Amino acid sequence: MEERRDSVRRLLGAVAWSLVGGSLLAGGAHACELPPGVRVESERLAVSFRTTPEKIAVGEPFTLDLAACPKGGALDLGRVRLDAHMPEHRHGMNYRTRVVRLGGGRFHSEGWLFHMPGRWEFVFELGPERLTHSVRIE
Amino acid sequence: MRRSLAALLLAAAAAALTQAPDAQAQPLDFSEAEVRAILRHGPWPAPWAGDPTNRASGSAPAIALGELLFFDPRLSPSRKVLCATCHVPYHAWQDGRARAVGLVEVDRNTPSLLDVRYQRWFGWDGAGDSLWAQSVRPISDAREMGGSRAEAAALVRGDAELACRYEKAFGAPPPASDEAVLAGIGKALAAFLETLVSGRSPFDEFRDALAVNDVAAMKKYPAAAQRGLRIFIGRGNCNACHFGPNFTNGEFHDTGVPFFVKGGVDAGRYGGIQKLERNPLNLLGAYNDDRSGASAVKTRQVALEHRNFGEFKVPTLRNVALSAPYMHNGSLATLADVVRHYSEVSPDRLHSDGIPLVKALHLSAAESADLVAFLETLSESASALAPRRPYAPCR
Repeated sequence: MEERRDSVRRLLGAVAWSLVGGSLLAGGAHACELPPGVRVESERLAVSFRTTPEKIAVGEPFTLDLAACPKGGALDLGRVRLDAHMPEHRHGMNYRTRVVRLGGGRFHSEGWLFHMPGRWEFVFELGPERLTHSVRIE
Repeated sequence: MRRSLAALLLAAAAAALTQAPDAQAQPLDFSEAEVRAILRHGPWPAPWAGDPTNRASGSAPAIALGELLFFDPRLSPSRKVLCATCHVPYHAWQDGRARAVGLVEVDRNTPSLLDVRYQRWFGWDGAGDSLWAQSVRPISDAREMGGSRAEAAALVRGDAELACRYEKAFGAPPPASDEAVLAGIGKALAAFLETLVSGRSPFDEFRDALAVNDVAAMKKYPAAAQRGLRIFIGRGNCNACHFGPNFTNGEFHDTGVPFFVKGGVDAGRYGGIQKLERNPLNLLGAYNDDRSGASAVKTRQVALEHRNFGEFKVPTLRNVALSAPYMHNGSLATLADVVRHYSEVSPDRLHSDGIPLVKALHLSAAESADLVAFLETLSESASALAPRRPYAPCR
């Protein structure tokens, strides 16, 4: 019960971040603003994300909050998978992230851990869209 | 004859002088990237804030109880095996054997307990997600201590000294549930083990001198160790896994060490995750004292993959020269053997699709010696542990 309350508290923090951007996902091109964060775009979707802590350290767990806005018209985000891998070494993380939908195109995820230094690639699959973003971790 | 003897003596003196510079070695011209890589292996001791999953973490009464239990042979019904049988204090808290021997010999090497508090997973396969859960695992292993949770709980309830100390550590007498008492035993043992932090090493002195560009202090670090360090963070890519102040990323890799055991295979991390999921003392269970839930995320989200077969935990390299033999099965007797393994490892054994993390380094004899020289500087110069003192009876 206690644990549940604390999980809710963490999620509320993520919701507060997602509200910084103003109005939530409404399907229209101009009805959706992204909160501050790292911005990644595909043809039909723009997302911004932030990690907590902001600086990712090797071998240290972190959480990731992500907000998505379709670029035009409504977009069914459907199944959402947030993951990362090291392209050069062709291996992923040793953990599967758990994604919690906060509503309005906002997501909170946990279970992130980059266990080696080098180039990692975030992979965000939201419905039909696949977005990637590379980071170098020292 | 006399002249040739004098010449020999002179030559010997000259040779000694040419080898002496290691005592006052010129620091290598490490690049900025190398300096950054070196600095990441410190400072030491690393900061540590206690274990939120263990309400007894850092508690003096729990540390005292844990220390008594660690040296108590009654945790094994045989009275022949105690925690210190394998984790020998004067042997860097391991046993110097290839494979541990409890009631019988097991398949794996005994890891040192020094600096164990910094780990994320416990045991070569990571079947333990907390130090306290891992600490009670050998009690009920038929090959190690051969006991049971009921017998361990009965011991603590029935022994006036242990029961008194249990109440002081946890604020209540040992409860009726055997499992709950076992969790308490584990938490007390963990509180004691958390105090086993190693002292500073010659590498730490060099690393801190490098951080402030104290050339005079840096010169005290042997040239061979500096050359070995350069291989470690460079061509050897050893720090991809042996990362950070504790020289481990805390995760699991296949390093090409055979995992066949008598009658089968050691499933390594794959079996460890399966055992973790079945363990009622794991962090998803009722005995985790961290109500935030943050500590249990790793246990909930860890991924069981086929590739986990043959993976074993990346051990710390601190005090590595004191903890021979090496690898999960103790199959390599010396540090030179370990370096030879990585110098000659077969790519066929490792099945890597991408750029392999472990590949044959093809080191020369001199490079191998340098790498060993570096590894030898990771041992503490002096123990940082307080001397053991007898405890006054509990009242």
